[in-house]
Amino acid sequence: MKIDQEKCTGCELCHPYCPVGAIVTVHRDGETVSEIDQAECVECGACNLRAHVCPTDAIYRPVLEWPRTLRETFSNPNAPHPSGSRGRGTEEMKTNDVTHRYPVGIAGVALEMGRPGVGASFRDIQTVAMTLASVGAEFEADNPVSALMTDRKTGVFREDVLGEKVLSAILEFKIANERLKDVLLSIKDAAARIDTIFSLGLISRVESDGSIPVEPIAREAGFLPRPNMKTNVGMGRPLLKEG
Amino acid sequence: MLFLLSRIKPQGTFETMRQIWEVLSHYEHHLVNFGTPNPNRDGGELHNLEQLKTTIDSRMIMAVFKDRETLTNCLKEIKARNFGISLVISGLYKEIGKTCAETGLSPHTVNLSLGIHGNTRRLPDENVLEIHTMCGHAMVSSKLILHLVEQIKKGRTTCEEAARELSRMCDCGIFNTCRAEKILQRMTVL
Repeated sequence: MKIDQEKCTGCELCHPYCPVGAIVTVHRDGETVSEIDQAECVECGACNLRAHVCPTDAIYRPVLEWPRTLRETFSNPNAPHPSGSRGRGTEEMKTNDVTHRYPVGIAGVALEMGRPGVGASFRDIQTVAMTLASVGAEFEADNPVSALMTDRKTGVFREDVLGEKVLSAILEFKIANERLKDVLLSIKDAAARIDTIFSLGLISRVESDGSIPVEPIAREAGFLPRPNMKTNVGMGRPLLKEG
Repeated sequence: MLFLLSRIKPQGTFETMRQIWEVLSHYEHHLVNFGTPNPNRDGGELHNLEQLKTTIDSRMIMAVFKDRETLTNCLKEIKARNFGISLVISGLYKEIGKTCAETGLSPHTVNLSLGIHGNTRRLPDENVLEIHTMCGHAMVSSKLILHLVEQIKKGRTTCEEAARELSRMCDCGIFNTCRAEKILQRMTVL
């Protein structure tokens, strides 16, 4: 996003709306105006598409070119990827009752890089992805982050995207429950080597008695699962059967 | 406590999604918020159920409930209608278990949160974080929360108005304005 310097009055009303704090005040030619730090801006559109607070309509979306377009497709929830999909990952477990993406005995691991609210560069994301790949993680094929890797088995990304920063992007993979503990330990190792943050999600089928088989594994690896979680209650069925 | 309904393909179930909005409208006064991600509606205005019923691109429906009893009643109705659409409830697992037991459903798959990792020194304080994370897309900025806290303290706005202003940034209708208002009250108590 950019601010038309001719229109800006320097009122600063837009400043608090930026999720990454990229709008700053500058003094130029005796005037005080606002400017968007292009290195920090993730093109999410919060400042003009959602906030609607600029009294002179000075904030605008410039024409974006590759690879900067990635900032928008990962950060603005309503901007589609070139494939037509939207979002920062897949539908993961939300439709697992239909897709069976995560069968019994297989855990899903999702690292939402940059969440909450800090953002991440693909260089940071690559650091974590390579660590995970070294312990056998094979990244989800149908995921917009994996699509930027040159090799899903090594976690190496295309060189031209590494400098781009996004609000968040989700690394996703599946792993057999018996290998989960080692993977979780490697995540701790990767966490110590980045300057950003990530939210860690662990997906699992539920046993018939309501227990969650991956929960004790997570505790053994030193993680404390939160008491709140997303639960798919099994109402979905394949569309073909809708008749 | 909230739930999300998701369909797997982008076409073919518009009528189903419309009918689900119809069911939700029976509980409108017990909903904190509701909505659907919509590429044609950047702006995050507070949502209108009548408009949502005619939204062609309701690929996912979100609703935030004021209480578990209403959620349970709504689930019973959705189950009876047998829409075949995936349904996800977000909240305390113990409470979700009670709702499932009362509606004859069983948890199928869960997504556990194992917390936030990395350079956590970059995170804001707990109260701000609690409000900020209500929008999973991070559209509700930490700076805006702190700015509105200052405005409340100066008497320029109320906790209720501030919660609605924050909610405006979240397109999906998943932001819990009631809980945000309570946290803002906690943050601004003299």
